[in-house]
Amino acid sequence: MVAVQSRLDRLVRPTFGRHLLFALAAAVVLLLLSSQIGAYDDYNLTAVAIFAVAAAGLNLLTGLNGQLSLGHGALMAIGAYTASLLLKDHHQFPVIVVLLAAVLSTGVIGIGFGYAAARLRGPYLAGATLTLAVAIPQVATRYKSIFGGESGLTVAPSSPPDWLGADFPPERWLAWIAFAAAIVTMVLLANLLRGAPGRAFKAVRDNEAAAALAGINVARTQVLAFVVSAACAGLAGALLAYWTGVTAPAGFTLALSLQLITAIVIGGLGSLAGAVWGSLVLVFVPLLTSGMASRLKLPSSIADNLPLAIYGGILVIAMLVAPHGIQGALRRILAYGRARWGNTPGGGQKGVVDWDDPAPDT
Amino acid sequence: MSRFFVLTLNGVTQGAIYAAMALALVMIWRATKVINFAQGAMAMFTSYLAVFAIEHGAPYWVGFLVALVSGLLLGAIVERVIVRPVESAPALNVVILTLGLLLFLEALAPMAFGGQIRSFPPAFSIVGLRLGTSQVPFSPFDLFTLGSVVAVMLLLLVLFQKTDLGLRMRASAFNPEVSRLLGIRVGRMLTLGWALASLVGALAGVLIAPSLLLYPTFMDDVLVFGFTGAVLGGLDSAVGAVVGGLLMGFALTYVGGYFGSDLETVGALVILIAVLMVRPSGLFSVQRVRQV
Amino acid sequence: MLEVIDLTVAYGPVVALHAVSLTVLDGSMTAVLGANGAGKTTLVRTISGLTRPRGGSVRLDGHDITRLAPEEIARLGVAHVPQGQGVLAELTVDENLRLGGLWRRDPKGQRGALAEAYDLFPPLANRRHVAAFSLSGGERQMLSLGRALVARARVLLLDEPSLGLARLVLVQIMARLRTLVTERGLTVLLIEQNAKSALSVADEGIVLHLGKVVAQGRAQQLLGEERLRHAYLGF
Repeated sequence: MVAVQSRLDRLVRPTFGRHLLFALAAAVVLLLLSSQIGAYDDYNLTAVAIFAVAAAGLNLLTGLNGQLSLGHGALMAIGAYTASLLLKDHHQFPVIVVLLAAVLSTGVIGIGFGYAAARLRGPYLAGATLTLAVAIPQVATRYKSIFGGESGLTVAPSSPPDWLGADFPPERWLAWIAFAAAIVTMVLLANLLRGAPGRAFKAVRDNEAAAALAGINVARTQVLAFVVSAACAGLAGALLAYWTGVTAPAGFTLALSLQLITAIVIGGLGSLAGAVWGSLVLVFVPLLTSGMASRLKLPSSIADNLPLAIYGGILVIAMLVAPHGIQGALRRILAYGRARWGNTPGGGQKGVVDWDDPAPDT
Repeated sequence: MSRFFVLTLNGVTQGAIYAAMALALVMIWRATKVINFAQGAMAMFTSYLAVFAIEHGAPYWVGFLVALVSGLLLGAIVERVIVRPVESAPALNVVILTLGLLLFLEALAPMAFGGQIRSFPPAFSIVGLRLGTSQVPFSPFDLFTLGSVVAVMLLLLVLFQKTDLGLRMRASAFNPEVSRLLGIRVGRMLTLGWALASLVGALAGVLIAPSLLLYPTFMDDVLVFGFTGAVLGGLDSAVGAVVGGLLMGFALTYVGGYFGSDLETVGALVILIAVLMVRPSGLFSVQRVRQV
Repeated sequence: MLEVIDLTVAYGPVVALHAVSLTVLDGSMTAVLGANGAGKTTLVRTISGLTRPRGGSVRLDGHDITRLAPEEIARLGVAHVPQGQGVLAELTVDENLRLGGLWRRDPKGQRGALAEAYDLFPPLANRRHVAAFSLSGGERQMLSLGRALVARARVLLLDEPSLGLARLVLVQIMARLRTLVTERGLTVLLIEQNAKSALSVADEGIVLHLGKVVAQGRAQQLLGEERLRHAYLGF
């Protein structure tokens, strides 16, 4: 037993080291990038980071563990409202405290819902999470005195600390917070997935009965996946509260949950990198289309709805043509390149923050 | 007129709509093992087509027919063109496909017809019927709603249970491979199944549009509640779908009436979770051997 | 006449059938024998159109049916009864039987064929409106055979009809089958692991091993070949 443990440690530690290195590199790149670009671009990149956090968690749950959730927008709402309640009436809390509180609250609710949903499969789980997506915003509307009803709660932006200088743009500060949150989330998830829990998630997705026979506690695995993904959604929700400045039910419609699903599918189901690609698509498609619409002087009825039509169209076409999303396409290109120009065998180094694509049921 | 009685009447008419949506979803599920999340959006689109006809001078019943026929066609087209190519793909892919279709249709409608909220004419008067000296909160239109949903269900029942075509459709749904070996053109049966389901959905759309008003996302809630009803009743059972839909109608009306309309969906969620915890495959499901 | 010419079938890198050829004459029964995994089921699935071959062809009365859809092949008079009988469990006995001939749209002929099937298999007549999942193994086998008859099949592909059947029932069904072949000129391709009973009713036999034909000939002949029997047929 000890021998197995130490061998496992030797396996895990270098991976962890690799992940940390990659995270450090990413942090440096993002830091440099954000110092060069303007406030508006920082603002957009923050959105990408926020969605990436939520999408990574959802990708773990749906792509890797096979549980389809149509309600993660509601979980984001829980994180956002937690943050908003803490910061209500101009209470000051350090950002890290607010974020951790959101992670905790959403995680706890994730445990509850996860247990209730652990026995549900496929469309039944989808149904339950769909109802969750629609129900949670209603709670906020109902209990007006606490949650601010339709108009919601306002959140004061987090001001950059003094040592960064008086002129430091708050958008960049928020971007840094969001980047940090995204990087930490990715590293933690990557490690989780390289270890036993990650294998358990996949095993249960691929063949529940076999996994149970192999000694995996299926219910606990399902709940763990749900909780982790909920925590990610909560974190993203809290960041969203800072980003928008207002937390109201209208910001957490069913469309949000569906957009998250769009992101992970387009990006690539079951891959962390895919969560990033998908978030980029999610944020930049509306920007690009509205820019295009105003240049082409399209009427507002068309301009406003074009991004959604494009998402929908992309989803449909992607499923027909490229079901493994951007990450899958990249991987195919890489594999093709490797086959064509030959690479050292055994050097099949998957990306540090990658993990296996879910095997298609061919 | 007791509050309970009023709520019950509302519950029945609401329930009929959700039952229709639930039935449409179950029909498609049984035929192709797909949850058509776009069913509500498809019904929304056919309702828009109906209004388009009516706004251009057609009488109501022509518009009604336009909705039903376009529902039939839309269902057939979606199955043949979009769903058929991915029938061998993992289930998640097809779900996402229908979600994509949902988003697309909800964006296409305002692009084609304009995004402003419209009114939709009811087939009959919405003024409550008179019973002696008092007015019952049940209008001719409510009667029509109930009646047409029941009529459609009976027609479908007769189709499936008593006709050769229905037999072929049932066989195709139970076991497509064996059905092929019996000379049944399974592909056509599936297309027909989708077409009929979409017809039912379109009916639900025109029946509820007058009270909800017409806007691109007006069928979202109906889809959610119809789906919840279908899940409650057990996706494999058409009877379950109808019962589940009715239960949802009652649950939502009672919760809304006694606890406030803001808590309707929460009530639905609680009921759904409660039922699924006891019977994870729905009330009327055949308990297949499945351990957790 | 059913001809299989140089049929090669592969699932990805695994070759299930390798250039298999055989001919079944009208009004005769050929037994397809061999151990599990020999390719017997693959053979009939390819003939009935459920599986596409990588090479070779299948001909029915001279017409190439290799690339036809299964439902079209069925409409040409080929009835494939899969392993486990392929009975539609949720439907009744009567509904199952009727399914066979529905595509013909010939209500009168259908009624006649149904009556015939009930005549031939009296236990079914007693359970007309019973759901098929409550039938015994033997009754299910009768149901699938009856269904093939209602379909007016000329060629019958039977995949392991003996599975799950009591010996006595098996003997009876084999006898009925033989009668149908002799009296109606039915053409039968019979897959069986129980080689002895198959060879005792069949006219010809073909033995598959790992996707290849290792022996072919008159059934009586094959029964007599001891080494063959020991090596491939288990008796």
